[in-house]
Amino acid sequence: MSGLGDIGHLLLTANLWQLTLASAVLFLLPALGGVTSERSGVVNIAMEGMMLTGAFFAVVADLKLHNPWLSTLVAMLAGGLMALIHAVVSIRFRADQIVSGIAINIFAAGLTVFLANRIYGVPGVGHVGDSELLPNINIPVLDQIPFLGQVVFQQNVIVYVALIVLVLTQVVLFRTRLGLRIRAVGEHPQAADTAGINVFRLRYGSVLVSGLLSGLAGAYLAIGISNTFVPNITAGRGYIALAAMIFGKWTPYGAFVACLIFGLGFAIFANNSFIHISAYLLNMLPYIITLVVLAGVVGRSTPPAADGLPYVPGSE
Amino acid sequence: MGAGKASRPRFGIVPRFTGLAVPVGSVLFAFVAGGLIVLISGANPIDAYQGLLCGVGLLCAGGENPALEISNTIVFVTPLITAGVAVAIPFRAGLFNIGAEGQLLVGTVACLVVGLKLGSLPGILLVPLELIAGMAAGAAWAGIAGVLKATVGAHEVVTTIMLNYVAQYLVQYLIIGGPLQAPGAFSASSPISVNGRLPTFFPASNSLIVLGLPSSVYRVHTGLIIALVAAAVFAFLLWRTSLGYEIRAVGQSQKAARYAGVSVPRTIIVTMLIAGAFAGLAGAIQIAGVDKQLTDKYFNDTTGFDAIAVALLGLGSAVGIVLAAVLFGALHAGGAVMQSDAGLSSNLVLVLQALILFSIAGNFVGQISRLIPGLRPPPTLPSELPPAAPLMTEAAAPPPETA
Amino acid sequence: MSDTSTLAVDMRGITKQFPGVLANNHVDFSVRHGEIHALVGENGAGKSTLMNELYGLVHPDSGEILVNGKQVHIIGPRDAIALGIGMVHQHFMLIPVFSVGENIMLGREPVTGPDFYDRARARTEIAELTKRYGLALDPDARMGNLPVGLQQRAEIVKVLYRGASILILDEPTGVLTPQESHELFGVLRDLVKSGKTIIFISHKLKEVLDISDRITVMRRGKVVGHLITKDTNEEEIATLMVGREVLLRVDKAPAKPGGVALKVDGLTANSDQGVPALKGVSFELRYGEILGIAGVEGNGQSELTEVLAGIRHATGGHVTLGGRDITTMDANSERDAGVAFIPEDRRGTGLVLSFSIAENSILGRERASLFSWRHVVLRLVAIRDWARRLVKDFDIRTPSIDVAARNLSGGNQQKVIVAREMGSRPKVLLAAQPTRGVDIGAIEFIHRQIVKERDEGAAVLLVSAELDEVRSLSDRIAVMYEGGIVAIVSPDTPEERLGLLMTGGGTRAGAA
Repeated sequence: MSGLGDIGHLLLTANLWQLTLASAVLFLLPALGGVTSERSGVVNIAMEGMMLTGAFFAVVADLKLHNPWLSTLVAMLAGGLMALIHAVVSIRFRADQIVSGIAINIFAAGLTVFLANRIYGVPGVGHVGDSELLPNINIPVLDQIPFLGQVVFQQNVIVYVALIVLVLTQVVLFRTRLGLRIRAVGEHPQAADTAGINVFRLRYGSVLVSGLLSGLAGAYLAIGISNTFVPNITAGRGYIALAAMIFGKWTPYGAFVACLIFGLGFAIFANNSFIHISAYLLNMLPYIITLVVLAGVVGRSTPPAADGLPYVPGSE
Repeated sequence: MGAGKASRPRFGIVPRFTGLAVPVGSVLFAFVAGGLIVLISGANPIDAYQGLLCGVGLLCAGGENPALEISNTIVFVTPLITAGVAVAIPFRAGLFNIGAEGQLLVGTVACLVVGLKLGSLPGILLVPLELIAGMAAGAAWAGIAGVLKATVGAHEVVTTIMLNYVAQYLVQYLIIGGPLQAPGAFSASSPISVNGRLPTFFPASNSLIVLGLPSSVYRVHTGLIIALVAAAVFAFLLWRTSLGYEIRAVGQSQKAARYAGVSVPRTIIVTMLIAGAFAGLAGAIQIAGVDKQLTDKYFNDTTGFDAIAVALLGLGSAVGIVLAAVLFGALHAGGAVMQSDAGLSSNLVLVLQALILFSIAGNFVGQISRLIPGLRPPPTLPSELPPAAPLMTEAAAPPPETA
Repeated sequence: MSDTSTLAVDMRGITKQFPGVLANNHVDFSVRHGEIHALVGENGAGKSTLMNELYGLVHPDSGEILVNGKQVHIIGPRDAIALGIGMVHQHFMLIPVFSVGENIMLGREPVTGPDFYDRARARTEIAELTKRYGLALDPDARMGNLPVGLQQRAEIVKVLYRGASILILDEPTGVLTPQESHELFGVLRDLVKSGKTIIFISHKLKEVLDISDRITVMRRGKVVGHLITKDTNEEEIATLMVGREVLLRVDKAPAKPGGVALKVDGLTANSDQGVPALKGVSFELRYGEILGIAGVEGNGQSELTEVLAGIRHATGGHVTLGGRDITTMDANSERDAGVAFIPEDRRGTGLVLSFSIAENSILGRERASLFSWRHVVLRLVAIRDWARRLVKDFDIRTPSIDVAARNLSGGNQQKVIVAREMGSRPKVLLAAQPTRGVDIGAIEFIHRQIVKERDEGAAVLLVSAELDEVRSLSDRIAVMYEGGIVAIVSPDTPEERLGLLMTGGGTRAGAA
């Protein structure tokens, strides 16, 4: 019982909420990628693998190049490359998109450890120096606001980037011509095709975007929050991002709300030394929260109508 | 297509001959592509494959005993068979059971608890009780995902993966400072007593020498027989029972199943329960037959994930699953050899697994053979694989006004 | 036909091979400017393929296409649209969750700023279009909420917005009421007056005779006839379509109705969307008679058959079978009680396409003691014998009973369902759209089987959107409109009166 009291005290601290937002971004970026991909009709459960790949290559690049910005770019490209594999297998080869997604995740898990072993041998991946990490930036003036200032305006640079991407995604998807076409392709690719829209190009592009965003998240995880790569560093965040996407009814803002909830779970766990509950039980928290969230979405959440169906031109 | 010999019943358990081209071709593709990856990373693919082949007792270069390696392979194969079934049955119902690992883990816990608490019972009672406990725990674990899917349409991919993580941390909690931690140990439970163990084929004696090594090192155990029987039960269930017919109908067309009077939500739950039981059985067999206790080895267990590839590569048929399990079991054992001999991470096996999955899902074999002129029409992908479903379906929860 | 300058479309020597079927076999097809040209044939004759080639969705293996006298290569719909060709598909190319405006504008959306969709300009442009052609539409309405007739209208406006001068309409009247069809024809005639050319794909001979100027008949991938509408008739067209004399009316003896089989009283039920679909249906169905339910789709017929078959909950009312209340009975118990159901969606509901004929033959009866030991273990031998008998008795064309249902033709697929349901010697047979999309030969066969069931004493409820079928098969006709039965009339009732009843008029309540 005292454990719950501890959690209660924790919820009143700005520290916790600052950590919540920081953790939420790790779900948000892949979730936005998932929204984009699925809005165009391609089921994408590979965010976990794309994020893991991004994390790995971010560290490898940073250890070599000593530049977090370039390394982030490398991470995004790596994520994008994984996404491209998924895109080709799903779109061109019309594979079952869930199997393809799982395969990407297994591929990434195996490949990252294998390459880590090849490049760094037994000692493992080294640590990135503090000066070469993605920096935390305090926004002047705004960061002085009591409570809110610490929570929102004293964050890592990627958090600000993620929030911008959030708004961009929502606007593009729902107010622009490009977004209209992406959604058309995801709802009724045949109709879009007969209207002269290039279904395949839009789908490839959307899946690619999900890879870039997941790679970015991986970079943030590996050289923003931590400073090295360990196997399975993503710990299922890519999957939780899926739940966020579903909860948010495939909208960016909706997914963000779910991401905050999941971020909270992780933040509480990170503070487990202050809470008198076994660390391993607390570890379960984010995943149980996800289950509860999914259980609460009582069949009201429908995906894009053509989500998951390979497009075969000329078929009825 | 399909105009086969009228005499042979299609309710069989052996895939037709043309069906072999896809799995074999996929494995070949994986080895070739995997070899390329090894090459690009600056290592020698030959070393890698030499290590892997040692899993079946061939080309063992580092002084390993082939018989021992084969024995190790069989030990790895045994749980893969039932875990593969645990993934294959839901496939038939249109469900993706990614949670075999979590179901297996709770199966180990249940088996261990029964083995420890009832350790004074004679083996003939204790072992079956352990296995049943494992099956029950696995069934319940999978049942959670089944119920969520059947009632609110929560996609089983996400729920089973979440349950995997919960199960994993549960095991960690239990044996690190938790109720199952053995006194004096850091991350291990007490072992179950002798009468709770599945007998091995070779007596556990150090004086009897078999094929150059004392017989106690051969860990092949009777769990293998149980696994093979389980595979046969799976085939019988799917093809020879009305429940299996209904599961397959639900997987192919929920509308037709409803028309036939089948309750889709009920079938989904039953399917997941059965699948979880098979996965839990795999876990129980591991404890009772091999490890006898829960250790940190189970923090990194990949059986449940390997099972996905096993089910797909085996094209969802009982014989196919056994053969695919043999392949992955061999890769497992060979991976350890490869790591110690050639210094290449055994994670390469995961890479190969993923390549096989790509190849099967994308029907690379069919597509590539289409490009080769003169070849007879390529095998089509088995239609029994469920089509990819969106991540949130209302399909399981029936429209509000239908029965 | 030889003066190419008056030809809007001239397709020569078009050949297209799909795996296993030669869809177009050296087809010559030409359309004059300003005419309404009907392209007629059975399902699978190749007419949709031909038009898909004109619209760029499919590429012919050989042959050439000339539009307005110039040879063209149409690689995709964009090219066709650029040439002024627009297509209104049989299955609408509309996105239900988008608005009318978004649907119409898709692909040529007005933009402002960096890429923002200019909703205001879309509204004004659509208003202008709809005024010009007299097709009223609300640009902000959600497409999925519109009735079918208006959805089709949106499809036409979509096509016109892109500047189409040649319109292809693929089976446009399948989903319309007779009234809506009438309105559509008026629209088409107006379009022709403003200089458009129209290609009208249909298998409905009466309509083709009503609206077209010339007719091209296709059969099995070849053109088998060029006709001038005012010089031909139904029989001639039908014979060309099928290749032999076709019985357009079913020969049947008068009915000998027996006792009451089904008594339906005040039945109410909701649709999948939760909206009331059946609003108090009452009628009696007797053994030895065929009661036809006429009506445009969407007036509750689907829900009626599903409730009677036990697949849908009734929200009120009663159904009794031979005195026994079966209102809440589930599908399996209904089957046991002797109720058979031929569902309207053969590919989705009536069959599992990947199952073999043998496996499909027991769909719904897999737990019957005849087919499974103690309801659990399947009796393979008994099942295979049963399947073989069905194939023989119902003339299902297949090399073996192990062929997957998806590999059968539409007609044979339907025969599997018909065979399965009739083979169980039902007391009551519910047949929903039993010959939709089926070739004429199989239609004749199925009609004969339905009459045979009736003659052997079964009570048959026939639901069909094809008025001809209802009139030729039924002994009595009940007209359904908006969830209720508005009248029960004799099959000799003139078609105009039936059409009126189907749209809610003609009853004392409906008359002003």
